[in-house]
Amino acid sequence: MEPMKILLVDDEQEFVTTLAERLELRNMKVMIAMSGESALGFVETDPPQVVVLDVMMPGLGGLEVLEKIKAMNSRIQVILLTGHGATKDGIRGMQLGAFDYLIKPIDIDELIKKLNEAVKRMP
Amino acid sequence: MDHIKRKEAAFFGRITAGITHEIKNVLAIIQESSGLMEDVLDVTENNAFPHKDKFIKSLDRIHRQIQRGIDITTSLNWFAHSPDRSPASLDLNETAQQMVLLLSRFARLKNVVLETSPSDPPIVITSDPVSLEMALFESIEILLKAINTGGKITLSPRKIQNKCILGIGYENTVSAKEDFPAQISSTERWASLQETMAYLGGTAKTFDPTPEILLYLPESIDD
Repeated sequence: MEPMKILLVDDEQEFVTTLAERLELRNMKVMIAMSGESALGFVETDPPQVVVLDVMMPGLGGLEVLEKIKAMNSRIQVILLTGHGATKDGIRGMQLGAFDYLIKPIDIDELIKKLNEAVKRMP
Repeated sequence: MDHIKRKEAAFFGRITAGITHEIKNVLAIIQESSGLMEDVLDVTENNAFPHKDKFIKSLDRIHRQIQRGIDITTSLNWFAHSPDRSPASLDLNETAQQMVLLLSRFARLKNVVLETSPSDPPIVITSDPVSLEMALFESIEILLKAINTGGKITLSPRKIQNKCILGIGYENTVSAKEDFPAQISSTERWASLQETMAYLGGTAKTFDPTPEILLYLPESIDD
C-alpha cells in the first residue's frame, strides 16, 4: 500500500518538523511548507492527499490558502489547525470546503484518525 | 464603564489573547517533542534502554503539565476576550467554571479548594462579562479574607423564584469566623462589590450561617 501523502503547513518551524517526524514514524510521506505561498507551490508541483493547514500565518492566511487549494485541486482534503477562541475560523473553513478542523495543541491520535477519514473522503 | 476604560480593558484583552496564542504554540512544540520521544521509546526494546521506565514516567509528567498549561492558557484566552462584546449572552455555568480555573491559585494560598456546582438547565443571562467576572473575583476575595484556612468555596448558579443567583458559598469542617455578615459588610471590598453589582443592575447579599455571598443578577443588564 502506498504511504499517505501529507503536506504540513505552519510557520512554527519546530512544531512542523517535529510533527512531520512523528507522522513519518507512522509510515506517512510528509512534506513541509512554512508559508501559504510555499504550500501552493507544493500543491501545483507535487500534490498531497491531505493538507494540514494552520489558520494563523503571516502573509497568506490559512483560509485564503484553503480557498486557493480548493480552486487548484478540489480532490485535496484540508484539515485546519486553529487556536482556542478561534473556532469560528474552523467553522468558516468548513464552509469553504475544509474536511475538518483541530484545535492546537493537537492530539496525534486524533490527527491520524482525521487524516484517515479525509483520505477516504477523496473523490 | 466610561469609554476610555472600555478601550483600556479591550487593549489589555487583545495583548493577553495574543500572548496566549504564543504560549499555546510553545506548548504545542513541547507536546510534539515529548510525543516524538515517546514514539521512539515505543519502538525501542526494553533491554536496549536500561532507564526506559524512568523516561516514560518523566514523559508522563511532562504530558500532565502540558495539559495543565493548556487548561490555564485556554481560560486566560477566554478571560482576555471578555471585553470584546458587552452586553453579551453569558452561560453562568461556563463563567463560574472558567473563573474557578483562573482563581484557583488565589484560593490555594489559603488551602481552600475552589469548585463549581453547575445548574441544570444552564442559566443564560445578558450581562457585561468583565464586570460579572470582577464581581465573582471580589466575592471570592471577600470570602478568602473572612474565613479561616482550609475548606472549599463553591460557585453555584441557580434560579429561585425567577431570580438569577450566583452563590459563592464556603464550607469547612471548622466553623467560619463568627458574625460573618457583619464582619464583611463593613469592609471596603464589600462596598466595591456592591458598586460592581449596581453597574450590573443587581445586588449582593450575605447569607448566614453558611456563609455564602449571593449575587442577584437581572436576566438582562438593560432590565
